[in-house]
Amino acid sequence: MTINLSDLLNDALNEIEECKTLNKLEEIRVKYLGKKGQITSQLKKLGSMKADQRPSFGQEINNIKNQIEAKVNTKKIELKKSTIAKNIATRSIDITLPGRKTLAGSMHPITTTLSDIENIFLNAGFLVEDGPEIEDEHHNFTALNIPENHPARAMHDTFYFNNNLLLRTHTSPVQIRSMEKQGVPIKIIAPGKVFRRDSDLTHIPMFHQIEGLVIDQGINFTHLKGILHQFIDCFFEQQMELRFRPSYFPFTEPSAEVDILSEDGKWLEILGCGMVHPKVLDLLELDSETYTGYAFGMGVERLAMLKHEIKDIRLFYDNDLDFLEQFK
Amino acid sequence: MKLPAEWLKEYCEINLTNEQIVTQLTMAGIECQLLDEPGEIFDISLTPNRADCYSVLGVSRELAALNNSKFKSNQNTQTTIDHNEEIEIKIESPKDCPVLVTRIINDIDVNTTTPSIITHRLNSSGIQSVNIIVDITNYVMLETGQPLHAYDLNSIDSKLIVRRGHDRENITLLDGSIKTVDQNYLLISDVTKPLGIAGIMGGEDSGIQTDTKNIVLESAYFNNETIMGKPRILNLHTESGLRFERGVDPSIQKYAIERASKLINEFSGGKNGPVISNTSSSEIPKRLPILLRKKRIHQILGITIPNNGIKEILTKLNMEIKEQDYGYSGWMVTPPLFRFDINQECDLIEELARLNGYDNIEEHNEQGEIKLKKISKRSKKINHINNLMLSLGYSEVINYSFISPLMSTLLGEHINTIDITNPLSIDMSIMRSSLLPGLLNNLSYNLKRQHRTIKLFESGKVFKNVNKTNQEAEMLAGIGYGLRMDEQWITKLETINFYDIKGDLEHFFASLKINTTIQYNQSTHPMLCPGRTAAINLDGNTIGHIGELSPELCMDLELSEQPILFEIDKEVLRLSQKIIHHEQTYFPSSRRDISIIISEEQEISEIIKVINTLNIEGLKNIIVFDVYKGEKIETGRISIALGLIFQNKSRTLTDDEIDTNISKITKKILKKFNLKLRVE
Repeated sequence: MTINLSDLLNDALNEIEECKTLNKLEEIRVKYLGKKGQITSQLKKLGSMKADQRPSFGQEINNIKNQIEAKVNTKKIELKKSTIAKNIATRSIDITLPGRKTLAGSMHPITTTLSDIENIFLNAGFLVEDGPEIEDEHHNFTALNIPENHPARAMHDTFYFNNNLLLRTHTSPVQIRSMEKQGVPIKIIAPGKVFRRDSDLTHIPMFHQIEGLVIDQGINFTHLKGILHQFIDCFFEQQMELRFRPSYFPFTEPSAEVDILSEDGKWLEILGCGMVHPKVLDLLELDSETYTGYAFGMGVERLAMLKHEIKDIRLFYDNDLDFLEQFK
Repeated sequence: MKLPAEWLKEYCEINLTNEQIVTQLTMAGIECQLLDEPGEIFDISLTPNRADCYSVLGVSRELAALNNSKFKSNQNTQTTIDHNEEIEIKIESPKDCPVLVTRIINDIDVNTTTPSIITHRLNSSGIQSVNIIVDITNYVMLETGQPLHAYDLNSIDSKLIVRRGHDRENITLLDGSIKTVDQNYLLISDVTKPLGIAGIMGGEDSGIQTDTKNIVLESAYFNNETIMGKPRILNLHTESGLRFERGVDPSIQKYAIERASKLINEFSGGKNGPVISNTSSSEIPKRLPILLRKKRIHQILGITIPNNGIKEILTKLNMEIKEQDYGYSGWMVTPPLFRFDINQECDLIEELARLNGYDNIEEHNEQGEIKLKKISKRSKKINHINNLMLSLGYSEVINYSFISPLMSTLLGEHINTIDITNPLSIDMSIMRSSLLPGLLNNLSYNLKRQHRTIKLFESGKVFKNVNKTNQEAEMLAGIGYGLRMDEQWITKLETINFYDIKGDLEHFFASLKINTTIQYNQSTHPMLCPGRTAAINLDGNTIGHIGELSPELCMDLELSEQPILFEIDKEVLRLSQKIIHHEQTYFPSSRRDISIIISEEQEISEIIKVINTLNIEGLKNIIVFDVYKGEKIETGRISIALGLIFQNKSRTLTDDEIDTNISKITKKILKKFNLKLRVE
């Protein structure tokens, strides 16, 4: 059987030239150059040839093989390029379509505000303490120098249960419980829910407070002023102008309210504070001559309202997703 | 308390604008603002300790002290005595009433019009004009701080008696209300009937009438401890009660009655009897001298006020100072009778700080060693849980801790709830024993606002009465309702079901490293649907529930889908102490799938549990990748497909090893559950 080698070459080159896909190209390559391919089988003939014919035939067939291989490689690169180009051309997407959104939750602004406040005080070495929300008269009032019938109790409209229990009206009982537990010196903050029997445009029957208590030797009013001013600057993330003015709480003496100056020039009350009344320490049988300290308390809702410009305190407890999701 | 500016200025000579006075008083602890209209009235909010400022006189005295100016303490109160008539007085408990001053004035003209200077000032102070006599008693009260009472002499049977109430004694008051009192209350009565609750409100029958001719004026000092708290209990917040329970100056009763007589004579005529004073000197409150130590002032305030500054401030505040040699700087200071709030050294120190100005106290940092403290477990846990819930797509809500009886009954009748004895309304009268009713409320509220994807959680306390003691427990609860994801072009509209929320919980428990020990057992819950509710168990204790809302509640709330709810006891959950790293393995894993047909009743978790009990080495994970029911499967049975994943930590497993294990597994479960293996 004789094969015209130049025809074989031409056929191969034509087939390669006209080939449109990488798969087809591979088929063609196998057809000619594979183990059983036409070129390969020609090469196998070499062994049975006469010695004098071998060199020229061998040279020729190798030459053809190289040409086909080169053509295949060139075509391969060409086809790869065109495939990628075609691919890119057809796989284009509208990148302006919205992406797939899974649900993202949001923290209640009160929780966020509480933890912001806690973190500021944690930096100053305060420990966080908590206590029961259903309290007894002793811890909520008596131990805080608010005896029964004292007009100061009218400042706290209280929810009562049977057997002299009540919903705590402030987180101050946590201070008493902490001192009962660990004595002094002490440096704590007590965040939590408190309850007052009050409901109108600006009052709600449940809200949150954070109170702080520091008792040690050498603590005085200048330290109270110092820490609260720093706290307010940290919380509002700017230098704030504020004033301390005398006030009254049965468990502190002297007592003060702190006002901040709002942008429209009004003084806004934001927290109450004072030097711990020696009677509170005396009632706990702690040494009120050696130890002095300060206490402060603030309404978390009020701070959150000022920070986020929330106008109505009741919004916090409507739990409207349109409200909550603004604080994501 | 509202007071016209011009009235105040009548008593002290100060040259300040009303705005300046407002700032000055406020910065001295007497919170004050100017009423917008007409800008000439001070609205003063007094703290309960400042009883002495409940009058024009009191505020003026304070202003005079603040400005170092003159204070005109007395008006001319010279009156004539026209006859000798007096009312007989009997004080049964002098401790309650150490001072009682009375005067009879006859032949007054009760129908004369109150002069406009008085009505104008009363109106500015928010007090309505009634008749000339009542107006004058109110006027003098505002002016001096001494509440006065005027009786129609004819309505008094024989004499005035000051006594404690009898058990369940009824009295009809001026405002028409009937109050029942007992021994805790002090009454003014005559021999036959009560005439009023002392210091709080007069009785209906003994007041000034349109035909009153002769009156008895009463000016008393009632012990503030006797009156304390009573106005609140009786819900009678009168101007008189307010002053008496905080403490009225026990030295001004005579002055006040003279001042009132003078005004009555001037505008309403009348013939005065003598001023009769019943005084029990020993019962009049005394102000004892208080030791004030200079070093203590510095200890509390952190500032040094010079000695003459201290003395100047105390003198301005009408305190008596006695210097004594104690071996250190100190003074014996006696406050004036009207300062009920000054009883201890710290009270004096506050006065010094107040008059010296809080602004003049510096701001300092505390000195002390720096000590780092570790973050508390409580804070760590709260942050961990909150962040996890957030990442699972839940928004946090906070509900009131009290709920309505209706909401409470959703939780079953058997729960011992804690009820508020004085709720704001019946809808907020029961302490919640579960967070779930609140979440249902939040769901309804937000559905009405057309939200279609709702995933909420709350973290908070619930309250139960267990064995007659109140118990508070911190819980975590959530609700999922509606679309799994918001409607969008790329996602099929799918509804949240039981397994979505259970998956969230599995993530949650996995983060606490307890997912493998948590068990879900078919259970019931008053709010949840039977057959679709699981108790969540940890170490044999139920720590919560998850389930679909009961069909009854779905119907009541007109819900088109079934919300899934869960509630877990947060207190039993612990953050894992520390996370120990296990070395990662790089030997390839192999997976074999088996498909079995089981009874619909069969819990798949049982099958997995049985496989796990074989303790097959290298069996790393079992996934349930298909649950099928329907065509080709006989009714009452379902087909499940399990993917078993094998991986060894130290070598590549051979096919033979895995095949052996697979046959061990299939043999075990086929035998145990009497199953058919679906041929692959």
